Amino acid sequence: MDVVSQDNGELRELLRAVAEQLKLPLLHIARQAELSRMNGPRVAELQTIGRSADMALGMVDAYLLGLQLAAEQTELALEPVSLSSVLNDTAHALSTTAQAYRVDVELGIAGKYEPVMANGPALKAALSSLGYSLIVAQTEPNKKQRPVMQLAAWRATGGGLVAGIYGDSLPVVSAEALARARRLYGRVRQPLTGLSGSAAGIFVADTILAAMTTSLRASRHHKQPGLAATFQPSRQLQLV
Amino acid sequence: MARILLVEPDYVLARIYAMALQRAGHKVRVVADAQAAIDRADRLTPDVVVLELQLAGHNGIEFLYEFRSYSEWQAVPVIINSGVAPGEIQSVPGAWEQLGIAAYHYKPRSNLRALLASVEQVLEPVA
Repeated sequence: MDVVSQDNGELRELLRAVAEQLKLPLLHIARQAELSRMNGPRVAELQTIGRSADMALGMVDAYLLGLQLAAEQTELALEPVSLSSVLNDTAHALSTTAQAYRVDVELGIAGKYEPVMANGPALKAALSSLGYSLIVAQTEPNKKQRPVMQLAAWRATGGGLVAGIYGDSLPVVSAEALARARRLYGRVRQPLTGLSGSAAGIFVADTILAAMTTSLRASRHHKQPGLAATFQPSRQLQLV
Repeated sequence: MARILLVEPDYVLARIYAMALQRAGHKVRVVADAQAAIDRADRLTPDVVVLELQLAGHNGIEFLYEFRSYSEWQAVPVIINSGVAPGEIQSVPGAWEQLGIAAYHYKPRSNLRALLASVEQVLEPVA
């Protein structure tokens, strides 16, 4: 297979996975609207429709960049970016979907960190994509204690700053499962068997992070499993 | 009124389907994965199972094989309500009948009314 065909194949698979994931909020809207028509609308049901519409729009927004990067195969321009700021924005972007799935989103940023070399909007899109997949895939919302998803930034012992999403109630994705999913991606419907859906958000995040010369990896933070990426601190301010 | 075991991993969809079934007069228990479904069925045998195939861990087909391996559950009707199109699943001819699949609903093309009608249809002998 030549390079162009291979690239188009990967883009096709990413598009397919994204389309599969976008079916979900649209199903929410369609079925909730039908239920409301059958029995008369209730405020909570209209809220569900609104939240699902917001979820779909948020997903499209986050996924578009990943699809564009997959199509163009380019690297993103990097600049000093505040991880705290991006994580804060991401938490806000995920809040409606988290609410719909009874998941609490927390920020875990201990202390102040120097900016990292990244692309701010792209990083937010990557973390949002990842967050959507993990929220939708978690399966314990009926338990009395609501699951908590933490968006965290911390300093890696080997250098660099890590930004990721963690949580005890989130589906655990091991390094082996992630590597296997990357090999199976495009060939099977459910490359991560620990997640019930296509996990499109994880692969979109992967694509975006690759364009920032980093990558998603299985990670642990305060004993909680999660997925994260490492970024290099910006040296620009240090020179000043 | 029937006891329905709804196996649906998506929390929002699970609530919608459960509500529709409850308003139709049924008692619904919702679980999100195959193991929880086996555990729940063990506590109280359902009259009908409504099953999504794309589950975390063991998929719906694996659950169905295990479910049917127990003699007390062999006659329980199972309705597939899945995001997986029936054409995507390659099966041995006759396997669907062997697994006792009473109806197959492809979520994007089906709706609540059709699902409720399938449930009523399989329950007719019980009612």
